[in-house]
Amino acid sequence: MKRTALALLMIVATLLAACGGAPAAAPATGGEQAAAGGGEKVTLRVWSHQNPSFIQANEAVIAKFMEQNPDIEVTYEQFEYAQFIQALQTSMQAGTEADVIEMFGSWVCSYASGGRLAEVPVDVMSYTEAQELFFAAPLDGYYCDGKLYGLPNEFNLEVGGALVNPALFEGKDVPYPPVWDTMDTLREQAAKLSEFDGDTMIRAGHHFVGGDGLPFLLLEGILEQGGTYFAEDGKHFNFDTPEAVATIQLLVDMAQKDKLVDPVLFNGEANQPYDGFFAGVVASSFIGSWAAGQGLVNYPDFEFDYVNTPILFGTQRKFAADAGWGKVVSANSANQEAAWKLVEFMAAEQENALTFNGTTGTIPALKALVDNPQGLLEQAPWVEPTFKLLPDGEYLGNVTDRDKLFYEIIYPAVLQALQGSMSAEEAAQTIQAQANEMVDTAP
Amino acid sequence: MTQAAIAGDPGAPRKERAGLRPGQRTFVWGALIPIFLYLGVFALFPMIWVVVLSFFSYSPVRVGDGLLGLGGRNPFIGLENFTSMLADTQTAQLFRTSVKNTLIFAFLVLVVNLAITLPLAVLVESVHNRVKGVVRAIYFMPTISSAVAVAIMWGYVFHPQQGLLNNFIKLIGLTPPKSWLTDPGAAVFGVPLAMVAVIIAYVWQDFGYNLVIFIAALQGIPHDIRDAAQIDGASGWQQFRRITVPLLRPTLLFVCTLTMISSFQVFVIFQVMTGGGPQNQTRSLTMDIYENAFRYQAMGWAAAMSLILFAMVLIVTLVQFRVLRTDWEY
Repeated sequence: MKRTALALLMIVATLLAACGGAPAAAPATGGEQAAAGGGEKVTLRVWSHQNPSFIQANEAVIAKFMEQNPDIEVTYEQFEYAQFIQALQTSMQAGTEADVIEMFGSWVCSYASGGRLAEVPVDVMSYTEAQELFFAAPLDGYYCDGKLYGLPNEFNLEVGGALVNPALFEGKDVPYPPVWDTMDTLREQAAKLSEFDGDTMIRAGHHFVGGDGLPFLLLEGILEQGGTYFAEDGKHFNFDTPEAVATIQLLVDMAQKDKLVDPVLFNGEANQPYDGFFAGVVASSFIGSWAAGQGLVNYPDFEFDYVNTPILFGTQRKFAADAGWGKVVSANSANQEAAWKLVEFMAAEQENALTFNGTTGTIPALKALVDNPQGLLEQAPWVEPTFKLLPDGEYLGNVTDRDKLFYEIIYPAVLQALQGSMSAEEAAQTIQAQANEMVDTAP
Repeated sequence: MTQAAIAGDPGAPRKERAGLRPGQRTFVWGALIPIFLYLGVFALFPMIWVVVLSFFSYSPVRVGDGLLGLGGRNPFIGLENFTSMLADTQTAQLFRTSVKNTLIFAFLVLVVNLAITLPLAVLVESVHNRVKGVVRAIYFMPTISSAVAVAIMWGYVFHPQQGLLNNFIKLIGLTPPKSWLTDPGAAVFGVPLAMVAVIIAYVWQDFGYNLVIFIAALQGIPHDIRDAAQIDGASGWQQFRRITVPLLRPTLLFVCTLTMISSFQVFVIFQVMTGGGPQNQTRSLTMDIYENAFRYQAMGWAAAMSLILFAMVLIVTLVQFRVLRTDWEY
């Protein structure tokens, strides 16, 4: 009996040890702490998602860092994008996450408020110093409740640009590369690029029906008409407005009247803007410039360009921007000093930031790279059209749960309007109700 | 066995009570403890953990105050996760939609699967033994294929422009659907077309398993019963309806139960073929659980949904046992 009890105790103890979360007060991981004064190497682990161009950029900068810091060994591990969030969550619970994590800016505050991330030490960089170095839109995603929790690498811009495929412009009586100064020009020219087999669209002239595209277009349209999507308390939303309805109606007209894209055949689930473009069934695809960098790595023989798309309403462009990818440090890291040294090296040093943005084709978060763009444009010339847009951008704001708002609320409602299942007014009302419900039920 | 041992005399030698010598006992414990640990860590603990989590507003992005990260920022909320499933919120509506989709999928898969496998098994059983093995192997092959590969392959088959199916439909002079997987307005007898497409793909992959089981069961039915029925003048259909099907009831119970359970758990084929679309028409409960647990980090809510899935599987299984159970053997 005693033996049985002992065996049961052992099993319970093992279970608790295996599944127990690491208390924040006792960092459980983060590489091997250098022996005090022993001169042993500090080992840092870095995690990122598995985008090939991101891996290439990070590897180059990390190699340079290790060369300059022979006392720090960096192990770089990547995860397939869909597995990345799961890996973060399960490892954070177990206290086995990496010291330095490449994180999307819009996720940072939820992890930071949960106590999972370390604050940037003031001796590394204060928020005021960071404001001088970085654009406000990307930086503010890392600034939560008056504290800075990381440094951005990317100004995430999903509006104002499109991939264009020269092969699909041939014989269509549309100049290439297109110069789309107004929405009327874009709608008129892109309509000529759509191709049909009977009633079935086989090539989309201008594909904008994506999980990111529709929400960002809606927010841009609201802002450009002088509206706002936040309610007065700055927490709830106000989407049931004439500005939101007019924007959704514009998108509906582009799909249904102009037939630029068939939202049943081309959307966020089938023939997505990126995949559809590189599959050769989309003549122009409304998407961020990151897609150009990714396309060059994944489809090196595919000929394409990246051009500006016009303002939706009025003459002054205004848009909301995500905070983009950047680097944060785990609160569990046992090597905070070395970790922040690496983060500063990767994000704030101009040459290394240039390597990142140049290789990935992303828009820099570091102002200096836009002020002196020659180096970047040699590597990623397609980002040039975005430079003139950057001052017009503002941070998306605290939208409670960015992914839920975009992918579960705005995208499905606008898609239903495009597909004719509901009117623009109904779509705006649906978004309004569901977005506020999200705020009210948030933990 | 001695009288003392039978009476449970505490003075009796231990080896006699256990029937094992000390060396044997060590071996048994040595063999059992690793598997106990394995089951404890990877089966028992997760099950208990899901039940516990369902009473908390738990998210792995938040560091809790208490044991295993519970409490503090991850507070105890009692039955709120369960009561909110009935609320008029988008999250609850999505949950109810996914429950409905899962039930439709599971029942249709069962019906279609049985409608194909049972007659096919009788046909295969009736062919020559040499051919039987080959046919059985061919039908079983999709079962051992990767679910992702099957989903991608069927995605190509259902492709609106280049897909085999639409081209075949055009070839015979009919008008194919605009899109099998992404048209929210298309339906067959009220069932969304995308759901029909997923069911076709899933049944194609899964039916070989049930087929093999039915063939094995048919081989176990004594020939003299059928011979006697034949002598009595029973037709082939009568033999099938009056003899084969009743004698297959234990196998039917087994097949129905396993098919329903596996249908409730399907995730990959939905995720790859439709991603839950169009307009959530193929969003299954497992997808809803996955999205909430790993995309929105609402682990407590996802745990509560998992318990509902468990309850659904349990109830359906108990009903099947009740309806199809038999008290006899042959």
